[in-house]
Amino acid sequence: MDRRQLVKWLKEPLKMSNKYSLHVVYFCTGCGIIEIPPSITARWDAERFGVKPVATPRQANLFLITGYVSLKTLKPIIRTYEQMPEPKYTVALGSCPIDGGMYWDSYNTINHLDKYIPIDGYIAGCMPRPEAIFTGITHLWTLIDEGKADGYERYRERYQEYRSNQERLYGQLEWPPLYTGRDDDV
Amino acid sequence: MVAMKVAGLVFSPIIAVLTGLLLTGASRKMVARVEWRYGPPLLQPFIDMVKLFFQRAPSHGEVFDYGLVISLSGSIVLLLFLPIGHLCPLGGGGGLLVIIYLMLIPPLGIATSGGEGANPYISIGVSRKLMLGLGYEVTLILVLLSVMSEYNTISILKVVQAQSESGWSLFSWPLVIPGIAYLLIMPAILGVKPFDVASAPQEISSGSHAEYGGKYLAFVTVGGGLSEFIGVALFVNLFLGGPSLPGAFTLPAGALGVFLGVILFLVKVAFVFSLNVMVSALFPRLRVEGAVKYLWGWPALIGLIGTIVVWAL
Repeated sequence: MDRRQLVKWLKEPLKMSNKYSLHVVYFCTGCGIIEIPPSITARWDAERFGVKPVATPRQANLFLITGYVSLKTLKPIIRTYEQMPEPKYTVALGSCPIDGGMYWDSYNTINHLDKYIPIDGYIAGCMPRPEAIFTGITHLWTLIDEGKADGYERYRERYQEYRSNQERLYGQLEWPPLYTGRDDDV
Repeated sequence: MVAMKVAGLVFSPIIAVLTGLLLTGASRKMVARVEWRYGPPLLQPFIDMVKLFFQRAPSHGEVFDYGLVISLSGSIVLLLFLPIGHLCPLGGGGGLLVIIYLMLIPPLGIATSGGEGANPYISIGVSRKLMLGLGYEVTLILVLLSVMSEYNTISILKVVQAQSESGWSLFSWPLVIPGIAYLLIMPAILGVKPFDVASAPQEISSGSHAEYGGKYLAFVTVGGGLSEFIGVALFVNLFLGGPSLPGAFTLPAGALGVFLGVILFLVKVAFVFSLNVMVSALFPRLRVEGAVKYLWGWPALIGLIGTIVVWAL
């Protein structure tokens, strides 16, 4: 840690600590999860960036969606995202969450994931290599620094829109809305 | 003397929290080096702590909050009975018997809090933690009984005092036998790798910590660091002579001596803790029945032999 960073730490502890302590919950969809074990173990070692896999969404602040999203897996993805404490960031891996990728005309695959939950960044590729994941992480750092990684604020502001998109797929959802517009929302 | 007591009351929890967090960071770094990784920065737990306190985490009810408070305050009260170098604010009263009782409170607080979380993984984690406690406490009580009967006192202060005069217990006959028994069960007391059945992230989603996020997770992490510190510090006090130097060397008197004593104590804690980290880096997790089978096997037998030898001599 150099001296310029120390000043930054004192000025904006929220941003700095969120940058250097990304606890990740992985959602193992599709082929991208294959790239995660090498990137968190000895070969590429994500822990040196403060990136650490955790077991439950309550402890996480980064959500990695690693591949195509089928109709069935979108439901747990939404519930996992809503259980994470704010501020939270979402990054989607591969081409499929961007526009469907090779599954764009499949009958049970989502084409645009960011219609249903807000995505802060995509790492393109089919599949992205661990180096690309690290580039994505460092890019997420700059986004957090500039205040552009504001997916969770967008989700709060435009919750009705996201919720209606989700309900267009499933009909009535079996869990209550996360934000009701009242003051006691957490 | 009163100034010493006040200093102990103020500083020993601060020292313990900071050391516990630093040791957590050091253990992550050490495990990384064993696995030929670069590893996180040494201060990573502090960075995590800052982040966790800024997060907006939901509570699950009042018992959920108060259980955590019970757990953390149990750890802090336990610390006040445990000498850290020459700082020992409540070390005079109760001694080892109080420590035996108070060591149960932190896991019970977590269990109370977890009940409100209503997550099935929490109940599995709590039951595993109590099972593990049953496993190691047999040996722990045998070890404490041998130490108490060898020195004819229940006061942990007098045990430390006697060792500064007659040498460390770990290197003296017959207390070396209970010392080895304590070393064998220490990974279970700390809850590190071969015995982390209660908080296994891969099996039961980190067990009793499954519902904690944000500041709750921060308090749980601090409590975990404290209980690791307590497990090691008890060993250092009972078997490595607390703040005393080996052999004929003595610390200078006065404030400098107190400062050096605390530093020496923390160096000993760091050394013993790093032995446990090496064990945790090398061995995979046991199943819960395997852990209890191990704990009721050789360590309990060695502890029993130690008690008998101490009583017989």
